Amino acid sequence: MLGALPAADAALPAIVDGALARHALNGVYYGFILFMIASGLTIIFGVLGVLNLAHGELYALGAFSVFSVVGFLTGLIAEPTNTVTAVVFGIVVLAGSLAAAAVLLPVGAAIEAVFVRPIDDRDEVYQLLLTYGLLLVLVDVMKFVWGPAPLEAGVFRELNAIPTTELVGISYPSYNVIVILVGLAVFGWLVWFFDRTKTGRIVRATAINREMSTAIGVSTDRTFTLVFAMGAFFAGFGGAMVSIGPSTAYLEMGLDPLVLSFVVIVIGGLGSLKGALVGALLVGVTSRVVTPYYPQLELAAPFILMVLVLLVRPEGLYGTWGEIE
Amino acid sequence: MSDDPLLEVSNLSAMVEGFEVTHGIDLEVGHGEAVALVGRNGAGKTSTFRSIMGLTPVASGSIRFDGEELLDLRPELIPKRGIGYQPEGRELFTGMTVEENFRLPIWTSGDARGIEDEDAVVEDVFDVFTELEDRRDAEVQNLSGGQGKMTAIGRALALRPDLLILDEPLEGLAPVVVENLKRYIREIIDRDISVLVAESNASHVPEIVDRMYVIERGEIVDSGDPEVLAEDEEIQMLMQGGGE
Repeated sequence: MLGALPAADAALPAIVDGALARHALNGVYYGFILFMIASGLTIIFGVLGVLNLAHGELYALGAFSVFSVVGFLTGLIAEPTNTVTAVVFGIVVLAGSLAAAAVLLPVGAAIEAVFVRPIDDRDEVYQLLLTYGLLLVLVDVMKFVWGPAPLEAGVFRELNAIPTTELVGISYPSYNVIVILVGLAVFGWLVWFFDRTKTGRIVRATAINREMSTAIGVSTDRTFTLVFAMGAFFAGFGGAMVSIGPSTAYLEMGLDPLVLSFVVIVIGGLGSLKGALVGALLVGVTSRVVTPYYPQLELAAPFILMVLVLLVRPEGLYGTWGEIE
Repeated sequence: MSDDPLLEVSNLSAMVEGFEVTHGIDLEVGHGEAVALVGRNGAGKTSTFRSIMGLTPVASGSIRFDGEELLDLRPELIPKRGIGYQPEGRELFTGMTVEENFRLPIWTSGDARGIEDEDAVVEDVFDVFTELEDRRDAEVQNLSGGQGKMTAIGRALALRPDLLILDEPLEGLAPVVVENLKRYIREIIDRDISVLVAESNASHVPEIVDRMYVIERGEIVDSGDPEVLAEDEEIQMLMQGGGE
């Protein structure tokens, strides 16, 4: 199951000096990919109270979109030949990834306004059925637009042409470093947005007390649309970051990250951003450190971790049901 | 100033979980007037207030505010028209500070209320609730009961409302805190803000309001001078669960 996400460790010999540190770094890299997906899921759950089963397909949609957007943008510039052009190339790819994720903003907004809102006050089972239906529809939409075959953005080699970064004393693929830095930036931005901006604090108020936020003038409809669009954006951005790496975009790619994202947000505490980050890093590092030594535990490791955390803290590490923190 | 009442509730029947919980409520609040709705717990005070705020469905009737029918508005537009609401529970935005709780209504409705200087409004609220001044950076879940009530009223006041609806502001507080809060509420009334306050203890009311209504089992059963009604034996029995 875990192999469905980018196997960046393939770029490294498995048994070398500092192998454990390398596995741990791969886990951190993998954790940040998971965080980008899970952050959207936890924001949507924290504010709307909706467990979005279509979230994995929003991630896949980002991966497919990047194929078109980055493919177009990199077609406009020359292949990198030295450090400077490699860095410019990397910036163009990152900008393209953001643009590809931006495609998800109207998609997320439309899903919330057209499909989720009408069943807002219904039982959770309706939300699960609806979002499962959306999952199937989105797969067909992607098949219609991009076809059934896997696609590759084809920029991974060029991204790694950026000089290898020395990180914690060992050489490490530049692409992985970019993903870790981007993941940190996403976390920093989300914390800033929810802690410091007016809009972010209005969203938090809505998550904490929907009725009272209405009584001070918050349009919960608009807030929910914004939040769903944001959640879709970050899922799409996660997909875009994966797709510019060693992985291809393929139709079934949304399922595994969805399941693991649920594990992440259950470990971290549903609705908690901090929890999503810590949960994602725990799942990422655990799976990447355990798998090389105990491959038979690859599928079980994240779930064993989840069970252990829930036994100690049933509400998750930073459990704040309905509150973004 | 218009002679028409600021708030005019006519023949209001509110629904909770499919049941009609108030029956043909009629009440008015004039410009700058302080009015109490007094009744036992469960008499229909909160349902009436929530209906005015658009938070509880209405089966029939009319709620006019400054001449406009509120039942035609989406609930989030009601505070923008100038009604501040302190709910029965504190219902503060936890994880945020007292000051943030005051700023939120300005961010959401400040434009509609014509607020240009956000800081001035916040300081104005702290000027009323001086006791909260040194707690401005405290997260609201760490406040005492009285400070929490003050913050909830302050949040409603930060809208610069024309009408302030206070649902049981004195309930569950120590006597000394009740006296402080009464003083704060009178200060708000002195600023020419109309107030509609729910109370289950009729003895508190004469010190605060100009007029009062008595509600029992979802119906208005009496209204008039609070000094007279609070002393009325029948009303007192009603408040204690007797009467009929």
